[in-house]
Order: sequence, then C-alpha cells, then structure tokens
Amino acid sequence: MSLTGDQLLLYGVQYATYALEVWVFVSLVWRGRWRRLKGLGLYVVSLFLLDGVARPAVSNFFGQTSRQFFYFYWITDVVFALGAFLVICGFFRRASAHEEKLWKVVRLLLIFVPPLVLGISALSLTRNYTHLRHMFIIEFSQNLYFTCLVLNTLLYLMLQQLAVEDDELGLLVCGMGVQFAGEAACFALYHLTAANSMAKVLTQFLAPCCTLAMLWIWVYAIGKTPQFVSARFRLGKNKVLVEAVAD
Amino acid sequence: MFMAALILIVSTGLFFFYLQAVCQKILRRQFTQEFFQSIVNANRLEFPSVRKAIEDFGSPVEYPRLLLTLKCDFLALTYLLKNAANVNQRYSYEERLLILYFKLVFASLITCHWLKLRETPAALKLTAILEYFANVVGERVNTVRFGNLTASDYLLNL
Repeated sequence: MSLTGDQLLLYGVQYATYALEVWVFVSLVWRGRWRRLKGLGLYVVSLFLLDGVARPAVSNFFGQTSRQFFYFYWITDVVFALGAFLVICGFFRRASAHEEKLWKVVRLLLIFVPPLVLGISALSLTRNYTHLRHMFIIEFSQNLYFTCLVLNTLLYLMLQQLAVEDDELGLLVCGMGVQFAGEAACFALYHLTAANSMAKVLTQFLAPCCTLAMLWIWVYAIGKTPQFVSARFRLGKNKVLVEAVAD
Repeated sequence: MFMAALILIVSTGLFFFYLQAVCQKILRRQFTQEFFQSIVNANRLEFPSVRKAIEDFGSPVEYPRLLLTLKCDFLALTYLLKNAANVNQRYSYEERLLILYFKLVFASLITCHWLKLRETPAALKLTAILEYFANVVGERVNTVRFGNLTASDYLLNL
C-alpha cells in the first residue's frame, strides 16, 4: 500500500502528537509536578489512551468507514472536550486559590456551563433533526469547544486581573487557548461550508496541529518555567503565626 | 450560520492572541544575570540605543535607520543563536517561534508606518525579542570557558 504526501504528513503529525503526549507525562513525573497537576496528567493520559490506542483499535476492528467508528470517534471527541473543561475548572481553582469569594462565584458559573451547552445544542437538534448523524455532533463539538475557549479567555483575563505570578499556569492556559481556538475555528469552518471537501482536508490537518502546538507549549511550561510555590505552601506551619502577627 | 461565522471569526482572532501571549511569556523568562550586555558590546549591536531613544524621546528617531538597525541586529543575533556555542547548530523550538514572531511584528511595524499609526509599541517589542536572543547567546557563551576567562570576556579582550 503506497502512501500519498498528505497521508504521510498526517501520520507524521499524529505520531508527533503521541510522542509529545508521552513527553508531557514523563516531564510531569520527572520534574515532580505530577501532584500539583494531577488533572492535567490524567487528561494527557486519557488523550493518549483514547486517541493513540482505542481509536486505532476500533478502526481496525470495525473499519474506518463504519458507523461504529464514526460514533466512537465523535463520542471520544466530546469526551476530550469535557475532559478539557474539567482541566480548566482545575486551573480556575488554582488561580483563585487565595480568593475564596471569587471561587464561589466561579464555581457557580462553571456548574451551569455543561447544561447550557447541552441545551443550546438540543435546541439546534430539534431544528435539524434530519441531519442528526453529521451536523448535530459537529455543532455540539463546535459549541463545546467555543464555550471552553470563552471560559479559557475568562481565566486568562482573571490571571491578568489578579496579577498571578505563576508563569507555568499562564503558559498552560495559553496552550489550552491555542487548542480550543483552533478546534472551534475548524468546526465552525466545517459547519459553515457544509462539510466541503476543502474544509474537510483543512480540518483534518489543522486540528491535530493545534493539539501538537498545545502539547509543545505544555512541555515548555513544565520543563522551562520555575516551579511556582505559593506563599501559603512555602510558609507551612508558620502561616498561622504570620497571620496571627498580621492580626 | 450566523453563529458559526461568529465563532470562526472570534476563534481565529483568539488563536493568534494566544500565540502572541505564549511569545510574550517566553520573553518574560528571567536570566540569572544580564548576559545581553557583553554580547551587545562584543558585536556592536544597536538595539539598546534604539530602545533608549524610544524611552527618552517617545518615538524612534529615523524610520529607515530604525528598520536597518533592527534588521541587522536580528541577522547577527540569529546567526549567533545558531552558531555560537551551540553544539547542535540549530535553533530550539522556542527560538523558531520567536523568530517567526519577530518577522510578524516587523511586518506590523512597516504596516503601522504606512498607515501613519504609532510605531513605538512594535519597535519596543522587537527590541525585547532581540534582548532575549542576546541573553540566550550570552548565557550559552558564558558556559564556555577559555582558561580563566569566559567566552564573552575573551571576546571583549580581543
């Protein structure tokens, strides 16, 4: 079986993504940041297991053009988006670690997000019932990624507003932003052009490239930034004494 | 359709915004000391004087000279990045990203000049990128020693 240039490029990007997923996980463990970034670690592991192991297995078993693989592909895509949403929730928690009042408001907002996205997508489902197989899933993914992008941007603005001196968190958030923005734009283009063949090809390349960019930014964030240690952590037991003195 | 078009425009804008934010975060990296000064002196680079002129007078003195200075410093520093005390003789990924970022900001500087908009923010960004490159080169060179002298001291004493 001979491979065309496009396919070779696609395979290259795909295997580079797997390699970077492993690299992110190894960096987390190697640099001892696994405990502080548990959510991120689990997300990367699930990315690798679902995208690198489960999808090829299902594709081999049922065939790439089968209905089973189609549903499995899009369901895992929704799982990725939901996983990313949970990672963002974790970042929000870390960013507002010293602002309990703010965290209560943010938590309330975050709880309402998934039902809201589901509601909007269900509304569009009732309008486009005949195109269920294709367009609903595309629109749902597009809405979910865009919501995550908006949340991510809110988080970025919050980090700027609170002047959080945590470069690692800043870069992780930027990485997420690149991924969500790229994916949301790809889905929107796909949706707008009604799955035009040109848009299909573009989406096929752009989406993995965005994931690749996100993973590279994460590798840089974990490997090159100094570990941020909050004042509370650094002081340990003396915190109580400091607070007592401050009072 | 309207929603999809809106998402496409906003997402594309935010994609470039986040890429720019990543570049800015990389540029914020703290070095153990100001390595760039020795590299600037040894290679007679001019970007610190450009920055000083902008900070003192609020705008760069002459536009053609500004472009030439920044371009020459960029060429010198990218050459040094690749060849000075670099065992692999190639750029790292973040250096490649910053080189691309420099080119984009440089293009935006030219566009600002054509449109008669303020050029100083773009010029300051360019000097910040050049300072980062000089710091990276200086840090690398500083690890190579010739007897009791560091490479940058050696270059200065030539």
